[in-house]
Amino acid sequence: MKKFFVIFSFSLLTVNLFAMDYPLTITKANKAYTDGLYTNALELYRQVLKDGYESADLYYNIGNVYYKMNDFTSAILFYERAKKLNPGNEDIEYNLKVANSKIADKIEPIPDMFYRRWYASLTRQFSVDAWAKAGIIGFALTLVLVAFYVISRILFIRKLGFWLGIILFFLSVFCFLFAYQNFRNLRNQTEAIIFAPTVTIKSSPDDKSIDLFVLHEGTKVQLLDQIGIWFEIKIANGSIGWLPSSSLERI
Amino acid sequence: MSIKGITVLLVLTFFTRWSGSAQDIEFTGTAKPEVVIGETFTLTYTMNAQGQQFKGPAINNFNLLSGPNTSTTSSIRSVNGRTSMSIIYTFVYLIQAVKEGTFEIPKASVTVDHKVYQSNSLTIKVVRNSGGGQSQNQPQVQNSYPPSGGSRQNPGSVQAGSNDVFLKAFISNASPLQGEGIVITYKIYTKVPIQQITINKISSFPGFWSQSLSKENEKFTQYNQTIDGQQYVVADIRKIALFPLKSGKLIVDPLEVQCVAQIKRQSKQKTGDPFFDDFFNDPFFNNSMASVEKSLKSNPVIINVRPLPTNDKPSDFSGAVGVFSFKTELDKTRLNANEPLNLKCTVTGEGNIQLIDKMNVTFPPDFDSYDPKVTSDIKTTANGISGSQTFEYLVIPRKPGKFSIKPITFSYYDLTKKKYISLASPEYSIEVDKGNGEQSVVTYSGQAKEDIKYIGSDIHFIKNQPMQLHLTGSLFFGSLPFYLLILIPLLLFILLVAYWKQQVARHSNATLMRNKKATKVAKRRLKKAHDSLKANKEEVFYEDISQALWGYLSDKFSIPLSELSMDSVSEALINKNVREEIIDQFKSTLNNTEFARFAPGEKSMMMEKIYNEALNVISNNERELR
Repeated sequence: MKKFFVIFSFSLLTVNLFAMDYPLTITKANKAYTDGLYTNALELYRQVLKDGYESADLYYNIGNVYYKMNDFTSAILFYERAKKLNPGNEDIEYNLKVANSKIADKIEPIPDMFYRRWYASLTRQFSVDAWAKAGIIGFALTLVLVAFYVISRILFIRKLGFWLGIILFFLSVFCFLFAYQNFRNLRNQTEAIIFAPTVTIKSSPDDKSIDLFVLHEGTKVQLLDQIGIWFEIKIANGSIGWLPSSSLERI
Repeated sequence: MSIKGITVLLVLTFFTRWSGSAQDIEFTGTAKPEVVIGETFTLTYTMNAQGQQFKGPAINNFNLLSGPNTSTTSSIRSVNGRTSMSIIYTFVYLIQAVKEGTFEIPKASVTVDHKVYQSNSLTIKVVRNSGGGQSQNQPQVQNSYPPSGGSRQNPGSVQAGSNDVFLKAFISNASPLQGEGIVITYKIYTKVPIQQITINKISSFPGFWSQSLSKENEKFTQYNQTIDGQQYVVADIRKIALFPLKSGKLIVDPLEVQCVAQIKRQSKQKTGDPFFDDFFNDPFFNNSMASVEKSLKSNPVIINVRPLPTNDKPSDFSGAVGVFSFKTELDKTRLNANEPLNLKCTVTGEGNIQLIDKMNVTFPPDFDSYDPKVTSDIKTTANGISGSQTFEYLVIPRKPGKFSIKPITFSYYDLTKKKYISLASPEYSIEVDKGNGEQSVVTYSGQAKEDIKYIGSDIHFIKNQPMQLHLTGSLFFGSLPFYLLILIPLLLFILLVAYWKQQVARHSNATLMRNKKATKVAKRRLKKAHDSLKANKEEVFYEDISQALWGYLSDKFSIPLSELSMDSVSEALINKNVREEIIDQFKSTLNNTEFARFAPGEKSMMMEKIYNEALNVISNNERELR
């Protein structure tokens, strides 16, 4: 039993243990950014990325560097990546909005049904892991309350334990549901940013097909389907078309 | 000029006083009698007196290129040992023959002392090019005139070839930095006397900002220079400061100048007098001269402008190159609202100072600021441009408060230190008092509140606090710890509940046993009491009865013995849902037991009664529970 606990606590810690070498690099990069040496900052941040680490803040900082270097397309890509890991963050939302105001395409999004909007905004309030942790805490509390219900002889405590337990149980189930929702969004790279300066959207996955409309770099698209090198995409206003994968970068 | 020469001139001037006026007035027109189509030639009218109202001929069949150009020559003449000085006026036309044929140029007229004189008319034959045509640039020798009294000549030249007079451009630096000032000097080199230098075409300076350094109507400075053994008189005719505005190869177009050169002809006048021979054979006098119109063109100049270094270039650098100093002055630091405030920035130094057209001044947003008044005090010297450029800003603070004007920076490329230099003013803090406040109401009548003014927009700053990095793609959700954290509490919970259940089960078994055994125990005790009754042991009997009753209650209803007393027993039994009848029975039996102990009377009778009563209540209760 003891041995098991040692392994368990170690596996919890490992996630952070390996990242311990990087605060120095990050500090250096932050300093370079503050001093206006954006190329240096970018190099340092990308080094951390290359070594296999990520975080919403790291993506956000890289986005800022690109913004300062006037590469708004890359900035948007990294802000979107940061947003995926930490959907509710205000700074990310704000900077993404600013960067989006710098790109060529202006698309009027079609409004979603209100309940879907609410559900989506509730889901995006926290990251996958935040929801997951909330779920675990809720679940543990549920167990404690149920234990009270089972063990206590006092009627009031038994009642309290029962009802609170039921409420907490449902809350934690919802937390897990939201976590899963975010998890699925994160794992399935269903969104991409256009990186080609100008790209013509075709009616079918074929060069000879009819041109539908033109998009410019920095625009976010949703990926629906893939045939060979062609992607079927959907933009915020609902238009659908095909474009070659070379003009995209997945978020 | 030697002392001898000066003396001679003085003497000659004295003589001419009386001889000049005695002359007859001659007014003659001359031109080549035969020209080739396309040839440019001169038509010259000369007069030996000061004339007015020159009326040139109507030139119809020729192309008039320029003219009349007027020139004056003072001339000294020596005839048979007698010298006289006279003035000769020359009117020169430059014309071109355009068609074949013989044409007459009509008479020209001039007024001298209210008298009109007419020249001769000229006949010019224009022929087709017969192969023997003269080149345009070759000097055209005209009628001979008395020797010129102009500047001293260089001896030895026969004809005005291209080497006699030429124009050359010099630059002080062929590869300046962008913005570095260079001076271009046009020099005329001549071996023959020249007059009437007119600039036909001023060089254009594409890619440069230019400033002329020579003043208008300034006399040319002359000096001698020997080139390839030949002595030339050199004059700087134009000097221009140039500031390249871009880098790369820049070409300065040639300057074109027209002048009249006086060319010596080889003819000598012998007087026979050895003194005068010597004297007048001196080249100063002894040349018959011809006036030749000459176009001169300078060499084009290629300037290779080097770009300024890009590293360490300050962000506020706006192109100032040279050596500068920078000064700012604020007239007051404490004032009332709506009072004007003056800020003066002065850049002083040497370089492209006139190209400095703005300062990086940011006033607090609540200040009304106006465009600066720019005054420049520029001195052009032969070596370039220096001076100062002053920017005067007028600002009016509208609101009271404490404000600061951020340091005003001025950056330039220092040519001597070869690096960028940034100069900054101190930061000025300004205290604006409320003043009488009346004016403020007037200026902002009606609206007391203002919207927040957004001065700029930018993205939010990076996250600077230590960040939690994790392996790319690794998430807590779905990981082993995640599942463990769900499963372990669940497991603990199950174990806990199971343990609890077990404990409860064990406990309830014990009571059940006691419950089951309660009647037996009670019966045993009663039997014991019955034995004591038989043996007439009063004390032991009551003890046994009491124990049997209390023990039975405790065991049967799972009430600890300690909780049982005479007072609390009924309450405890009510809680256990025991019928009241039975409770009363129990109570009365217990009471009777206690009472009977100390009651007087027949002992054995009482004991018998109590025994039966206890037996009854227990069996009644047993029957009830069944």
